[in-house]
Amino acid sequence: MARIAGVNIPTNKRVAISLRYIYGIGPQNAVEICEKLSIPLERRVNQLTDEEVLRIRELIDREYRVEGDLRREVAMNIKRLMDMACYRGLRHRRGLPVRGQRTHTNARTRKGKAVAIAGKKKVTK
Amino acid sequence: MPRSVWKGPFVDGYLLNKAEVSRASGRNEIIKIWSRRSTILPQFVGLVFGVYNGKKFIPVQVSENMVGHKFGEFSPTRTFGGHSSDKKAKRG
Repeated sequence: MARIAGVNIPTNKRVAISLRYIYGIGPQNAVEICEKLSIPLERRVNQLTDEEVLRIRELIDREYRVEGDLRREVAMNIKRLMDMACYRGLRHRRGLPVRGQRTHTNARTRKGKAVAIAGKKKVTK
Repeated sequence: MPRSVWKGPFVDGYLLNKAEVSRASGRNEIIKIWSRRSTILPQFVGLVFGVYNGKKFIPVQVSENMVGHKFGEFSPTRTFGGHSSDKKAKRG
């Protein structure tokens, strides 16, 4: 088990895959990290030497914004929009889609689970 | 796709004049504008614009972190107060 960037403990998967368990590191960054440290793609986390783990940790600390820092940055950006009272901020406040998607149907990710409208007649055949 | 950088920010030219005149006059009155599509430039910071939303001029106090957005973003064109909750009572 390896602890990288705080709480993340990726498993015995390939390095490029398990790095993606870290918030802020996706497919692209994960492969990039492996390339920078010249770790072969087929290497698994439990086959890493201590020194390699250390180097991954240092690289992420130095060049990537991950986990808490990244979450804070995202939250700050949203807060900025809300404080400005611009259109995007208003959408965030109301919990509706921000980028012009339709809300007549769908948009359930933002709006949450559908709530039944009281008194609405059911269609019967 | 974002706008090409070499074009610079888009602003309707007459806004620059309006802003300058208002700055020079010193009185802090609302500058009425219809140009919702114009980018907010650093030289507009501190001024108050009345941005038309199709019906009214919405006063917008331009602050520093609004720079780079468009005027239209601060003047909503739709009103939606939410659904009424008394539907059940009506059906009774």
